[in-house]
Amino acid sequence: MARLYGKVSKALGNNHIMRKLEPYVLLLPFMLLGLLFFLGIGNALLQSLGYIPALGLSELTLSYYREILQKPALLDSVKVSLAIALVSSVLATVLGVLLCAAMVHTGIAGGWRLQAIKLPILVPHMVVALFAVTFMSQNGLLARTLYQLGLLGSQGDFPQLLYDKNNAGIIIAYLWKEIPFVAYFVLALMSSVSSTLGEAAENLGASRLRTFFHITLPLSMPAVKKAFLIIFAFAFGAYELPFLLGATLPKALPVQAYVEYVNPDLRHRPYAMAMNSIMLLLTLAISAVYYWLLRKDFKGTGGGQYEK
Amino acid sequence: MKNKRSLFHKIIVYTAILSIAAPIMVLLLWSFASRWAWPKLLPEGFSLRAFDELFGPHSPVMPVLLSSMGISLGVAVLSAAIGTITARAIALYDFWGKELVSFGSILPIIVPGTAFAMGIHVVFIRLGLADTVLGVMLVHIIYALPYTVNIMLDVTRLVGDTHEVQSRVLGVSPSRTFIHVSLPQLMPGIMSSISMAYIISFSQYFLTLMIGGGSVKTFAVMMVPFIQSGDRTISSAYSLLFLASTAAVFIMIEALIKRFAFWRDKTE
Repeated sequence: MARLYGKVSKALGNNHIMRKLEPYVLLLPFMLLGLLFFLGIGNALLQSLGYIPALGLSELTLSYYREILQKPALLDSVKVSLAIALVSSVLATVLGVLLCAAMVHTGIAGGWRLQAIKLPILVPHMVVALFAVTFMSQNGLLARTLYQLGLLGSQGDFPQLLYDKNNAGIIIAYLWKEIPFVAYFVLALMSSVSSTLGEAAENLGASRLRTFFHITLPLSMPAVKKAFLIIFAFAFGAYELPFLLGATLPKALPVQAYVEYVNPDLRHRPYAMAMNSIMLLLTLAISAVYYWLLRKDFKGTGGGQYEK
Repeated sequence: MKNKRSLFHKIIVYTAILSIAAPIMVLLLWSFASRWAWPKLLPEGFSLRAFDELFGPHSPVMPVLLSSMGISLGVAVLSAAIGTITARAIALYDFWGKELVSFGSILPIIVPGTAFAMGIHVVFIRLGLADTVLGVMLVHIIYALPYTVNIMLDVTRLVGDTHEVQSRVLGVSPSRTFIHVSLPQLMPGIMSSISMAYIISFSQYFLTLMIGGGSVKTFAVMMVPFIQSGDRTISSAYSLLFLASTAAVFIMIEALIKRFAFWRDKTE
């Protein structure tokens, strides 16, 4: 890569017009992959409008969307995905900020305890699904613990958290992964705000609670908002957890979309793509908000601190 | 009063750490449990059944694990390299379309994976990239890039180009400048990018399943049916192997960083 860069700059020499091309040369691999990305998304959108020449479908129509939004079963999928994403990301954000604040105030912003908090970010969703099964199923460890304490008569008395319409298992599994994510994502900004302006406010006589809600939290909001949008978009469009822990009916949107996609009757494909596109349009709207926030707030907050 | 409040904060932090550690401990127990029936809180016996199955002579696990690690390491290095030059363009140059590029770089985090996977699947079939390792690596790189670009942007902005300009002014060639001046300063960021891209690639299930179509077997694709099947001993052993192999790769990368720092100190 270094050699390539050297060759490229040498070939470009000192010519000013060529200089202007330098960033585009550096961006070339990124652009090519970006092109692939948009080809994929564009193709999904096109097929959702019923344009699949290979199947003899070449008329653009919104009828697949209309049908999805009219069929109660499919509309239920939309609702399931929205509910999972909203509940899990709101709870994860609130609890994650609480955890972050607790870490900042106890001075636990490094060392083995921080490493432990970072751990769930590295655990893949399918392993989290296994955790959910071992703890939350009706013969799982939570039920066993309650039984041993005499609080549970039999296995069947434990609430059905997995494979059920309430989706509680999926939401709790997301929380296990997302609360530490939010805490970690917000940590750098919150600890720097707290150690400067927060302490100043306290020295001037503000109570700790007042300082938190009037100084530390508002100034940490850029990172909090970004974290929320990332986990909301993810939980709305992710396949693994609803697939492994979800109810048979109604299925979450990504799972239902896959069912339609692999249907041997290829005429189901536009339905799959229309479901994908509903997710796509909603998350694109979210990312527009995300980007707007990114530009409005001062730069360099959150995001980059995945590493280390 | 102050002590009470700090006790409350400590309880929150340690509850979190305990909730994180508990399932991992239980994973360890389940991997070695021979029998663990309701309503026992601890296994009634231990065995190496799962590990016999995983590492047995006819087991496909090790070859798949190694090739999967190879794919993910390749993805990680390429994503870090592309992330480095992309971040360089965004951080150090002014050009038309810069805003668009930095907006585009975050899109794969936001866009639902199933939409992209199904859309690109059809395209890849036409391009002959479906069911190939190259195809799988390409989509993994697309999903790792938002993270590597983001990490490298922070590092590149921090490092800036003042040292580079000095080196060029003193007559050092661009390629030597890059290798001896810029690269050492960027190295910690590059290593973080490699770790992040590795974990993203190695955890990828749905994308690999779609694009690999069963002919490209990665460890993640291989273990999901066991998790589905409900055999907790086998699926725990798979998960344990997943986490252990990731930890091994991370330790290796960490060691490389230390060696690199040592090497840099010597040359300076």
